[in-house]
Amino acid sequence: MPSIVVDNLRKTFAAKRKSAGLTGSLRAMVRPDRTTVEAVQGLSFRMDDGELLGFIGPNGAGKSTTIKILTGILYPTSGTAEVLGFVPWRERRKLAYHIGTVFGQRSQLWPHLPAIDTLALFGKIYELDHRTVRRRITLLSEAFEITHLLETPVRKLSLGQRMRCEVAASLLHQPRLILLDEPSIGLDPVAKQRIRDMIIRMNAEEGVGVLLTSHDAGDIEALCKRVIIVNHGQIVYDDRVSALKRRYLTVKDVGVRFVEPIAGDVDIPGAEVVKVGGGGYGLKLRFDTTVTPAAELLAHIGALGGVEDVTISDPSLEDVIRVIYEQAAAGEAIRPADGSWPSVEPEGSEGAP
Amino acid sequence: MSVGAAVERRVEGSQVRRSAAKYAAVVRTQLAHGLAYPGDLVMRSLTILIFMWVFIHLWRSTYAATGQTSVRGLTLNDTLWYLVLAESITLSKPRVATAIAQAVRDGSVAYQLSKPYSFLGYQAAVTVGDALVRGAVTVLLGGALVAVMVGPPPSMLGWPPAFAAVIAGWLIDFCMATLIGLMAFVVEDVAAFEWIYSKLILVLGGVLLPLDFLPDGFRRVAEALPFAYTTWAPARLFVSPDPALFVRLFGIQLAWLAGLALLVAIVHRQCTARLAVNGG
Amino acid sequence: MAGEAVTGGALARLWRRVRAAVRSVRVETRFVLALWRVNLLAALEYRTAFISQVVGMMLNNAAFLVFWALFFERFPSVGGWGMPDMLQLFGMTATGFGLGVVLFGNALNLADIIADNGLDAYLALPRPVLLHVLAGKSRLSGWGDIATGVLCFALTADPGAAAWGRYAVAALASMTVFVSFLVVVASLTFWIGGASALSAQAIHAMLAFATYPLTIFDGTAKLMLMTVIPAAFIGAVPAEFVRGYSDRSLLQILAAAGVSLALAVVLFHRGLRHYESGGMAVSAG
Repeated sequence: MPSIVVDNLRKTFAAKRKSAGLTGSLRAMVRPDRTTVEAVQGLSFRMDDGELLGFIGPNGAGKSTTIKILTGILYPTSGTAEVLGFVPWRERRKLAYHIGTVFGQRSQLWPHLPAIDTLALFGKIYELDHRTVRRRITLLSEAFEITHLLETPVRKLSLGQRMRCEVAASLLHQPRLILLDEPSIGLDPVAKQRIRDMIIRMNAEEGVGVLLTSHDAGDIEALCKRVIIVNHGQIVYDDRVSALKRRYLTVKDVGVRFVEPIAGDVDIPGAEVVKVGGGGYGLKLRFDTTVTPAAELLAHIGALGGVEDVTISDPSLEDVIRVIYEQAAAGEAIRPADGSWPSVEPEGSEGAP
Repeated sequence: MSVGAAVERRVEGSQVRRSAAKYAAVVRTQLAHGLAYPGDLVMRSLTILIFMWVFIHLWRSTYAATGQTSVRGLTLNDTLWYLVLAESITLSKPRVATAIAQAVRDGSVAYQLSKPYSFLGYQAAVTVGDALVRGAVTVLLGGALVAVMVGPPPSMLGWPPAFAAVIAGWLIDFCMATLIGLMAFVVEDVAAFEWIYSKLILVLGGVLLPLDFLPDGFRRVAEALPFAYTTWAPARLFVSPDPALFVRLFGIQLAWLAGLALLVAIVHRQCTARLAVNGG
Repeated sequence: MAGEAVTGGALARLWRRVRAAVRSVRVETRFVLALWRVNLLAALEYRTAFISQVVGMMLNNAAFLVFWALFFERFPSVGGWGMPDMLQLFGMTATGFGLGVVLFGNALNLADIIADNGLDAYLALPRPVLLHVLAGKSRLSGWGDIATGVLCFALTADPGAAAWGRYAVAALASMTVFVSFLVVVASLTFWIGGASALSAQAIHAMLAFATYPLTIFDGTAKLMLMTVIPAAFIGAVPAEFVRGYSDRSLLQILAAAGVSLALAVVLFHRGLRHYESGGMAVSAG
């Protein structure tokens, strides 16, 4: 059963433009020069109940706009969407009882009060009875190890501690779906990991669906099975994370350490020399396994001199995504090999912010 | 985890009662929030002492100069207690227009819209909660000064009706300030409008001078406008606990409140239909 | 001969010190003029904002004058004061305040700057800290206050070069007392944590007291307004000097300006030493 169905969703913002100086300001007041910005340009996707779906893209790609449409905050310009069977912008308050939200850049906790007070307030707002609130608070605080944080005024918590309380608060009313907008923004690696553990745990234990936006590929890699990559308001990739890596990970990085310095220019057919370093002892290469077989490459390297050590590694997801963006910008359509591409026609990137 | 399970956990009662409990909880939380730093709270409320101290001197001289004990039905004591209340009402209210405009512009409206309550109902509850904390401290400080330097407060009979009128006044103010804040959907900066509004309240609302002292024509105009019912009406009821006056002024307050609330609801609906929170 | 040589040496040393002092005054004056010039250019860069702030502040002041007009309509004379006196008083305070925030705009938030370790940036530069901080910002709205002040003066005073001269002297004295008072209050932040809330209240008080007739206050209150919160020297006393020259009022405003300035400079620098020695209380969150 799908929890989100989005079809050909578009959102256009009108932006005012103003030329410089006083006359420009006056003219802008009388006859504003409007330009339209297409934040979301025809998104279509679906998300299953209890799924962990990643939604990634650079700043301004349309991630937050999409999340805001799906929570009923924004009206779309055209297209349809259903979240848990509700049309968000028409049934915002009904939908609100069943979803939780965390916006990483904005706190929902009252800064001068301990988080427990906000949780109690949320109990009232979601119309939960006393006992349920108490039971949920105990359960969540034990599961996420925040019992000791709940009594401290929120503004005295570290960002990582606060985020754990934010996520717990969004789960108080046992939503079926939570939407997390950049939950790990500004966190250090340890705090990031704790938030990720929390998300995985609540997904596994309560079956809550998670739609997560991030511009940190690490979040997606750690959390999600499926990922949607958006750029300039369009979906440029929608498939499993593993498929993403498999498909784009035909490129490998090779690091070599020689026994003695190699002399002269290095030229290996079928590979790109990234760097010769370490006084001639080190060499870094990148090659495409579909063009150059690894064995052939190793033979070429062996011919250069005595090899002490070789490492062959996959590029990070970050690198993969960068390649995808570059290809999308160059107008190359990227379609999954199995033909599961949704019915969206990438239209290039003119007019996008 | 079905929708049904979520519904079962809900509290009993009619929709109205559940809604009332919801907004009452917001007011309570805001009260606790306001009391989180009592030292700060008192510090920020000290302004009333300065103002009242000046007013006490001004009005003593003024009454002495007229040679009368009562001007337009107000004694020196009445005038100063009127001003304690009028100043407290004004000094304690949060800057609603700025807050709403800010929420519209920076997208913090997002959080509140993703929760099951009305955005404006929530804001109104926060405003009343905030104003109550500061208002209580301000009235206590200003009242103490006037009680010591001038005389005792007016009859306690006037306190409950005045309290109701103060809340109604804050809500009328909330509606007008919200209309200004919602202009952020259309114009870039609402500060100028907020500022003009605050000056209208200052002069036509009777913050510095009871409307009773105004020239008759001016006073009639002021009494026909909503500004007077944010400040003048509650402060006036406080010093003149007269049932007939209460029925008249409170009735007008409720009428303005209903009209303005309707207007706010319509404007808000129009605005959200074209809501343009900064996308990302 | 030996005695003369000693005297000659002492004179020469004194002469050198005077010359050094004159030179440093010249250098710092040029520095402050450069700061003001930059501030003014920045203000003119955003003309719309500038005009709207100036007009806005004038309307703001007008609202208070409307209050007084209505007040005097009902009560024609309070303690011998009428509307013209009120215009003069308000105009003087507005001018002093306006000059203060235009030329030394950071005076209003000096307490916050001190509390937030904002002085560090200034301490790292080879210029007098207090002067640099104060003149580091100019508030556009202050021009609206100055304009209000000039208008009030033009409406009430008899025209003539002498009156304008008195107005200029009084305005500078008023500004000096105002800025010095703000510096004194802000300097308390060096010793008392959280003095910035106090500072905000002190500013409220100063403006409230300086815009009401001095005659309504009794002896003790008047004494307070001439010492602890020297509001009388921002509005009433300089306004009296503008109305008509008298040696006494000239002496009063000059003495007030001198004493408050000296107090401000001494207190700020003692505070600064306290700060540099690390004695300042960590500001409570």
